[in-house]
Formats: sequence, structure tokens, C-alpha cells
Amino acid sequence: MNVNGQRVHPEDPTARLLDFLRDDLDLRAAKEGCGMGECGSCTVLVDGRTVCSCLVLVGQIADSDIVTAEALERSDPPGRPGLTDRLRAELVDHHAPQCGFCIPGLIVSAHAVLTEHLSPTDEQICCGLEGNLCRCTGYRSFVRAIQAVGR
Amino acid sequence: MTRAPAPLATTVQERSALIVGQSLPADDAWPIVTGALEFVTDRRVDGMLHAAIAHATVPHALIQSIDVTAARAVPGVVAVLLGGDVPVNALGDDDGDGPVIVDTVVRQLGDPIALVAAVDEATAQAAAAAVTAAYLPLPIVDSARSALEPGAPQLHDKGNVAGHLAFASGDVDAAIRGAYLTVERHVRTPVQEHVALETPGGIAMPDGVGVTVWCGSQFPGVHRRKIARALNIDIADVRLISNPVGGAFGSRNDDPMPVYLAVLAWATRRPVHLKMSREDVMLIGQKRHPFDITTRTGFSSDGRIVASDMTALVDTGPYTTSGPNVLKTSAELSVGPYRMPMARFDGTVVYTNNANGGAFRGYGVPQSAFAIETAMTQAAADLGIDPVELRLMNILRGGDEHALYRHHVTTSLRAAETLQAAAEHAWWRDRAAWRAAATGPWLRGTGIALAMKGVGLGSGKGDTSRARLIVSREGVVQIWAGPNHTGQSIDSSYRQVAADTLGIPMDRIRMTVGDSQLVPEAGSTSSSRSMYAGGEVVRRACVELLDRIETSTGTRVVDPSTCRALIDSGDAEILAEFRLPDSDLGMIPPGQLVTFAPHLVFGCSAQVARLEVNRYTGELHVCGIVCAIDCGTAINPAGVIGQAEGGVTQGLGYAVMEEHLIAGGRPLTKSLETYAIPTSRDVPPIETILVDGSEPTGPMGAKGMSEVVVVPTAPAIAAAVLDAAGVLPDRIPITPERMMRWMSGEQEAIA
Repeated sequence: MNVNGQRVHPEDPTARLLDFLRDDLDLRAAKEGCGMGECGSCTVLVDGRTVCSCLVLVGQIADSDIVTAEALERSDPPGRPGLTDRLRAELVDHHAPQCGFCIPGLIVSAHAVLTEHLSPTDEQICCGLEGNLCRCTGYRSFVRAIQAVGR
Repeated sequence: MTRAPAPLATTVQERSALIVGQSLPADDAWPIVTGALEFVTDRRVDGMLHAAIAHATVPHALIQSIDVTAARAVPGVVAVLLGGDVPVNALGDDDGDGPVIVDTVVRQLGDPIALVAAVDEATAQAAAAAVTAAYLPLPIVDSARSALEPGAPQLHDKGNVAGHLAFASGDVDAAIRGAYLTVERHVRTPVQEHVALETPGGIAMPDGVGVTVWCGSQFPGVHRRKIARALNIDIADVRLISNPVGGAFGSRNDDPMPVYLAVLAWATRRPVHLKMSREDVMLIGQKRHPFDITTRTGFSSDGRIVASDMTALVDTGPYTTSGPNVLKTSAELSVGPYRMPMARFDGTVVYTNNANGGAFRGYGVPQSAFAIETAMTQAAADLGIDPVELRLMNILRGGDEHALYRHHVTTSLRAAETLQAAAEHAWWRDRAAWRAAATGPWLRGTGIALAMKGVGLGSGKGDTSRARLIVSREGVVQIWAGPNHTGQSIDSSYRQVAADTLGIPMDRIRMTVGDSQLVPEAGSTSSSRSMYAGGEVVRRACVELLDRIETSTGTRVVDPSTCRALIDSGDAEILAEFRLPDSDLGMIPPGQLVTFAPHLVFGCSAQVARLEVNRYTGELHVCGIVCAIDCGTAINPAGVIGQAEGGVTQGLGYAVMEEHLIAGGRPLTKSLETYAIPTSRDVPPIETILVDGSEPTGPMGAKGMSEVVVVPTAPAIAAAVLDAAGVLPDRIPITPERMMRWMSGEQEAIA
């Protein structure tokens, strides 16, 4: 398995990907908010797809490429370098993070929306973020920030 | 990537614009978006143990014995702590506050009966599951009404009444008898769960003679006192570092987690990490109190309110927590932002075996406001008066007498202007066209509601914030201030206030919040007081700095040379204090101000909701919310808008989705699978309007707003339902099932 470009060798195939990232690799951007795939705080990219890392065992994805919020720029699409940096900057400038606990998962989903759609609509953004709960913001600041990246 | 901090200026720069009033990102925004920010539960320490909670498996019982033999035999277990292992096993002075670890009586399903520490989390959880107890079951008190019945099982030594508050400012019965119209309503509001995304937890370690705890807390002073009591140590020996934390909304006010952590570290003499699961929080985390309210509001024929009479029955569950204090704010806002000759409130908080109530954004006001605001909506319909006009002709203005206590409210109250600002929005003005454009099964409607909420803990409580300030020889100003930060970037706003007060750029100011070792006791991050109380004490510290510099150097310029002069004179450390002003007594008897704790300063919000209701399925589709806010000066407008949008979204959840259900003391909504909160697809466009105003006692004219924005959403949505479907909801959340019942005539339609 590759995590953020590093070859890693999990000892326990039955470990949850979230625990492996946080406890074995000290990558603690992905958070646990519910442990059952409802809140999306643990979202990471597995072979380019958004996945709740609390629902995946490392043995299920032994040959996969994992990207977490810490190294999201590794997933910037060819021809769109700097997408992650722009997304981060727009989130900051739009005052999107409040407590920030949801952001490391949410930004992975936002990145996926922007990878799929050059200039996503309100509806496309809201569908893309539907699996990421945020209790602070009401999501509108995320929509504004993502649309600013898309412009 | 992170943005490097701007290089420190070596000379004082002239600034062309005021910093207060500019929208600025939170100080920790970059660490958040890069995933680098370490939350309290992310923290790791070498050699730390992991903990788990063993829960009671019955809702109400006497504990006959607890068997920890199997738990202690699990390899890797370091400690299994019972109530008797806590030096003083109490969360407060009163029996109603409950013990730290339950050892004699279980009062709710999931009560902690043991705390386990082990070498890893899985071991701790396995050992916690192996703790068994023999229970003598007691009858379950499953509702507030049954708690008051003769012969009901009593949850505490003092019985089932946790608190009672009653006040009348006139002969309300006579006034209502003489009224042209009396609107009578019986409303019920649900248990709402905070769903702060970071579940309670953190880490604690023994620290010399005391203990250091990293754990979310909205009231570090109270949590430190609880820890000191439980461990029988001096409060000075308890260090609490309470941020960064993943949301609060009131949930970190009554939460005993800092005490659990401290007890574990104290007993094991090792660092201990504990983080509750979401299921644990759903089970035993404190929630918004459910209210059962009957209200009578009397009107003259021309629409003036002659009296309001509200009775509330409140279920606080097994322990007191904030229950009686919540009742105070409910009472105060039972009259809404309205003038009237007299009012009465009578409220009772009772113990049951249901979910434990606690502090939650709005603190009792969303409940009483739903009653009074839907009464205003119904009165407008009954009297044939426009709902905005009806409210305006009764509106409480700055400096007016409060309807219940007859004390005078702040001159900065701009309820009328806030209501008018919302009503000037196109979504209110165009409501007839919106309604007329309904198609197919979808009925359309628009509603409006208004609310205010006090800022600070209330009069008579000695509510005080504090800050400490020092300067460096390089001219950098370091400030330690509170209240602390639970997600509202309050530290950034404090820096804005400091920068403008001192006349220096923000990059010369360092701000630290949330560490009790460094920040003097500054009170709670609650009651919409942070910007007001913390901002003002920061301003005062800065003014004191300028005064001292002037004394020392003859100028009021903060630069390296004046700071050096101050340091050399031994005068460079400042401790500032802001005692929040009390209101006058009004009709409150002398010596009883704290009993009712009325407020002087209020923030205000008016909201318009437009929505669609499906006449066949009862589905509700909220299409837009306008949120007008009276917060005085908006120090950081983007921060205010963020609070408004988040507050409206919690209000939306409260209005149409969220309800923690419990039956026979056993929760039915056990996780986020069954307890739904709004997602990105549930939140409509929200238009925030900041109403001009200035609070004379607040920093640069600011006052608090982050609770009141939750309040008008549900009554505005209820009013829109009336407009669309001709029925006025008497309970929330307005689920499709309830809509179907109301539309089929099970509740009398009034329009």
C-alpha cells in the first residue's frame, strides 16, 4: 500500500485504515467523528475515490494508493497543478473553517468535486459534500470557496 | 503548504484602515486546511495509557455489587476504577449533581460504573465490557409529568424537582380576562443533540503535585473546580488546556470528561487518553432540554399585548447540570422582545431517567421563543394584522422596561430595526408571489419570527472576564485572554480589538486563549459573552498599556522604544478585568437579582423562512432563510456571518429534523444513522444581514450574537407552514408524519 507516496507495510490486515493512518503512521488529519461512515471526518482518497477510512480494513486495500489531507496536492489532476493550494487558500479566505474538525475530511471531498468538475454548480458541490457533516458552518462558506476555485 | 507569518515589522507602520470591521480569516485556518492542527483528542504522549468507560446496562437501579475480577484479569489492564477510588466522588456539592463514577444508584442507561485504563484502546474496551454489576431495578421515570405524580420514584434525596422559578409583574389573570383576544398554546420541543464533531475526550497527565488535562471545556474555571474537588487537591494544581477542540455549542459546559481524564491520570500516575465513541455521546452526553409549555397571550383589539402567561415543564434527566439556570433564560425570554404591561412565568425542572439535559446554544430560549413567537403568528392571523406590524406595535426598544422583571434593557437593542431589515428582504416582500407560484403537490409559504437573547451569565452573578498583557523589548504585545476558542476564532477577533486599540498592526500582537496556566480566570465560552466580555477585557488591557506608556514616556505610541521604557520601569505586565454590568432590579426584590439573573445587554435576530410543503406526503422543503442580526459592531463580519449560517442550520435541524428519542429510559436514536442533522443538501441559501448598532458597554460597540441566531428559525418555519398549509405546528421537529396529521385535521387549523 502507498500512503501519500510512501510504501507502507501494515502488520495487521484487520486494522481499520483510519486507525492505521492515525496510530501507526501518525497521520492524524483524518478524524473519527462517528466510526460508522456517517460523518465523513475520516475521508481519504483510495485510488482517487473518496472513502470513509473508518469503514475500510487495510487488508482490503493492500495494493491501493492512499492520499490524505496532509498530502492532498499529490492528487492534483495532470494539467491542474496547484489545485489543492488554491482550494486551501479559498477555504481560508472564505472563512470556511470554524472549529475545523470536519475540514481534513471535507477538503478531500471538495478536491474530488473539483477534480470531476472544472467549474462545479451549487448542486454538484452540495452533492459532493453530502457525506461530510459539519456542525459549525451551514456549508454555505464551503460552497462559496469551492465555486471561487472553479472560477 | 502553510503561509509563513508575516515578518515582524521593525518600525511602527501607519495603518490606513481600521482592523475592526474587516473580515479576517481565523488565526488557525491554515493549520486546519492542511490537516496539521492537533485537536485535544489527537494529542499523544509517550507512555500513555488508553481508557474506556464501563456503562450501566439499566436505566434506573440500585447497585448491589460491581465485579471487576474479569476486567482486571485482562492482560494489559493497568487500572479499573470504581466510585470508591475517586477521592471525592462527586461532580458538585449537591446530590443532584451526581457522582463522578456511579457507585450506589444508576439513574440513566450508560451511567459510568467504572473507568478502565490499559495499554491500548482495544484492551481498555474489552476490560470495560467485562465489568459486570448486580442491579436491583427501580421503576423508571420516563416523562417530566410522571416525575411529578404522587408516588413517583424519587431520583434524588431532594425529590424529583431540580428547580422552580416563578415571577409575575402584575395581575395577569385579570388582564387576560379583559383581553379582546387570548391566544392559548400548548407546545412541545424536542431533545436536541449537539453533535459537536469531536466527541468528548483528550489526555491528562500527572504533573508534580497536580494534574494537567487537555480537553475541551467551555468553562475551564468550573471544570478545574470539579477536578480539584474530585481529587481533593488545590485548584491551583489543576491545569486545563481546552483547545483546539472540535465544536462545542454548549456540549462542553456540563461534560464531565475533564474530570474522568484527571481521575484516570491521578490514579494511574500515567498519562491517559480517552475519547468517547459517538454512541456513548448519544447515550450519556448532555442534550438540549425538552420543554412542555402552555402559554396564554392576551391582546387588545388593536393588537397590543396586554399580558403574557407562560408555564413550562422541563425534563433535565438524571442530573441537575444546567437545568435550573436554563430555566432563568427561558423565563426572561418568555416575553420575547416585546413590551407589555405585565407578564408571568412559572417553570419547573424535574429529574427523570431520560437523556440528561444540559447547556445548548440558546440555553432555554429556543424553547420559550417557539411558544411566544408562534403565539404572535397565531395572533396576527386571528386579528388580521400583518405579522411584522403586530410585532412592531409591541416591540421592545432600547432602554425600555422588560415585560417580566421591569428592569431596563440596554439602549443598543435594535429589535425593531432588525425585524424591519428582515422584512425588507425580497423573500418577505414577495411572499404573495411565492405563495401563488405553488405548483403540483407543493404548497408554498413564507414566515417570519423575531428573538432576542441575553449576553453574559446574567445580573447578580459577578460575571467577570480577565486578561493579562506583557510587552517585549521588540515592541510585541502578548495577551492571554478568555473566554477561550471552541471554533469561533475568538482569538483572532481579540487581536482585531487589540490592534485598533493600540494602533499597531495585528502581526505585533500575540494572543493566547484556553490554557489555565497562562490565562487568568475569564469565565465561560457561553451565553454569547465571548466577543463582548473577552473583547472588552482585551480592550481594557490595551488602554491600560497606553496609559502606562503615556505616564512613562509622554506618548501613547506602542513601539520598541516605549515598550523598553516600560519594561525598564518595571511596569510592563498588566492584569485587566471586566465585570459585566448588571441591570437594575426592576421589580425583583433586593438580594434576589441572582435568582432571576436578568440581562442588561441583548443580541437580536429576525428571520424569514420560505418553504414548500407537499400536501400529499407532508414533506417540507425549506428554500431560503433570511437572517438579520443586531450584534452591535461586527468585529469580524465574516466570523459573524459564519456563526449566523451555522446557527440557522442548527435551528433548521431543530425545526424539521432533529429529535433524540427515548422510550422506557432506553434511547432509540443511538447514532448518527438514526439521529440526522442537516447535510450540505439540506441547507438552503441563507442571506445574512448585519444591522447597524453599537453597544455602549461592549468593545468598539460589539455584543454577542452566536446563540440568538438559532432561535427564530423554528418559529419562522412554523409560520411559513401556516402560510403554506393553513396549520400552525405546536411541536417540533415538523416531520412529514406530523405534517400529515396536522393537515388531516388532527390539530385544529386556524387559518
